[in-house]
Amino acid sequence: MTDNLIEIEGLRFSRGDRIIFDGLDLVVPRGRITALMGPSGTGKTTLLRIIGGQIRPDSGRVIVDGLDVPNLSRGELFELRKNMGMLFQSSALFTDLSVFENVAFPLRVHTNLPDEMIRDLVLMKLNSVGLRGARDLMPSQLSGGMARRVALARTIALDPKFIMYDEPFTGQDPIAMGVLVSLIRGLNESLAMTSLVVSHDIHETASIADQMYIISDGRVIGEGTPDILRDHPSTMVRQFMLGSPDGPVPFHYPADTFLDDVMGDA
Amino acid sequence: MRTIEISVGAFVLAGILCLVFLAFRVSGVGVGDTSGGSYLLNAKFNDVAGLRVRSKVSLAGVTIGRVAKIGVDSETAEAIVTMQVSQEVANLPVDTGARIQTEGFLGGRYISLIPGGEETVLHNGDTITNTQGALGLEGLIDTFISKMGSK
Amino acid sequence: MLRYLRLLGQWALGWIGALGRASTVGFQSLAGLPRRGDMTLLLKQVYQIGVLSLIIIVLSAFSIGAVLALQGYTQLARVGAEESVGLGVALVLLRELGPVVTGLLFAGRAGSAVTAEIGLMKATDQLSSMEMMGVDPLHRIVAPRLWAGIICMPLLTAIFNSVAIGGSAIVGVDWLGVDAGGFWGGMQDGVQRWEDIGKGMIKSGVFGVVISWIAVFQGYDSTPTAEGISVATTKTVVYSSVAVLALDFILTLVMYGDFN
Repeated sequence: MTDNLIEIEGLRFSRGDRIIFDGLDLVVPRGRITALMGPSGTGKTTLLRIIGGQIRPDSGRVIVDGLDVPNLSRGELFELRKNMGMLFQSSALFTDLSVFENVAFPLRVHTNLPDEMIRDLVLMKLNSVGLRGARDLMPSQLSGGMARRVALARTIALDPKFIMYDEPFTGQDPIAMGVLVSLIRGLNESLAMTSLVVSHDIHETASIADQMYIISDGRVIGEGTPDILRDHPSTMVRQFMLGSPDGPVPFHYPADTFLDDVMGDA
Repeated sequence: MRTIEISVGAFVLAGILCLVFLAFRVSGVGVGDTSGGSYLLNAKFNDVAGLRVRSKVSLAGVTIGRVAKIGVDSETAEAIVTMQVSQEVANLPVDTGARIQTEGFLGGRYISLIPGGEETVLHNGDTITNTQGALGLEGLIDTFISKMGSK
Repeated sequence: MLRYLRLLGQWALGWIGALGRASTVGFQSLAGLPRRGDMTLLLKQVYQIGVLSLIIIVLSAFSIGAVLALQGYTQLARVGAEESVGLGVALVLLRELGPVVTGLLFAGRAGSAVTAEIGLMKATDQLSSMEMMGVDPLHRIVAPRLWAGIICMPLLTAIFNSVAIGGSAIVGVDWLGVDAGGFWGGMQDGVQRWEDIGKGMIKSGVFGVVISWIAVFQGYDSTPTAEGISVATTKTVVYSSVAVLALDFILTLVMYGDFN
């Protein structure tokens, strides 16, 4: 039993001609909240899928809770996924099921519990996200923030040891954001879970993350606590942390000089 | 959920009833689907023009079978027709006649069986020898002209 | 010139790759033992795919049966053979129009709906999240729709044929005055259980498998964007329709090849 729930070493993965990961190393320690950040399109969601066993990397080690994920059999993967939860950016609620049924889904699939017990568990989970009263609504009737909270209730239905959050704060109003932040932190502490948060939101993420990784061009370019990263030697890391419009990630898309462009058409 | 169960049940029931309707109200005797099975009889004709596989075989105006195969006997230059006849008509005498007739004015050809009077009966695979081939339109005209001529 | 050859080659390879993926989707969905709760899923899909298609099937069937009787009567009356209209309509419907028209309508209504639904589930990560929860979306989402399609097509075809023949009877007997005995008697005399009805049902079964397979695969394979779903639904309708018509030709040749 190591201290790290997840260990990734030398991860390489390409899709078509695009190299997405080129020797990525990172560890996710148990019981902590780890954040993955980086410019758009660096494949952070893909990384979550690789950890979850949905995608196989080209090479490298991906060890989750001592298991070599890319080489697990279907049965072993099924068992692993019982202990793993993933909160999608789009909340991914099943549109043909009610809120109650959505949260009950993993319970019905993975357990043989009687209906009364399932009912109690679902109500408990919904209560912990504050949506017990919404249990008979359909997903189409929920606001974005509420949908995400229901999805969170569904994710914790089986009391997983580990949850991955894919852009949980994107597009939320300040109140909903505050609710989510407190839920993520609260759940991690009260259920002794390990959390991996992928996000763009520096401020929110920095307020709950124990450690952060900045990923760019398929590798980790900075890691550490938020404070360490703000004073990081790499200019790209600093640009990202401070949100500066220009820096190593340029403001201007490559083009001729302005003067040439304007004069050229004359 | 209950409405779904009921409507699906009704739908499947409707489908099955339609199949039953089609099978019994819309169709009749075919090659090989007579109840009680069928047996084969052969007949040689000098001309089977217009007769097709699956043409009717009838006895006293009732369809009792279908033409299963039409072939050629190269030795005697005759056509050999194999008929599938319902088991319910199992006691046809050996001198039963087979004639190729036309149904109505535009209708297709069919084989009409005219029972004979012998004691021995036809069995599976036997050949009817008392046959009369199809009269084409030309044949009819010839007959007519010769009849007129002999007056 | 070489460029066109290369494009053609790429397109052909893409097509073969799609066929491979489609086969995988098909086999993986149909393999595996049924589990508890599968019956409910199947029932729900038979409702969505079959029951909800009834209206268009029944309306079309009645219209087509009526029109066939009208047109058939006009032509046959010229040679005094009106009584054969029942037989003619029945044969055309049972052998050809029933399976084919039902297939085309089915592809357009049920096929496109299935593709859109699965495509949308893919685009909103529902399939992915299901997988992450350890549920195989092929088993839970794709398989019930595939089986439902296979079951519903023959049933819908039988209903189509019956309603169409009924419609032709109403027009022929009640309206145009064809003798009921001649109408139905001629039909019963000439329509054969296996040759006409049986083979027609086989056609509808084959169409059911093909249409459902295409619909389900296009949804599952679609690009997870709004445009992707639209492209996928169009493909389902177009490919299914072409497949139905082409298969009809081939099956007709094979089943009724004795055109001597």
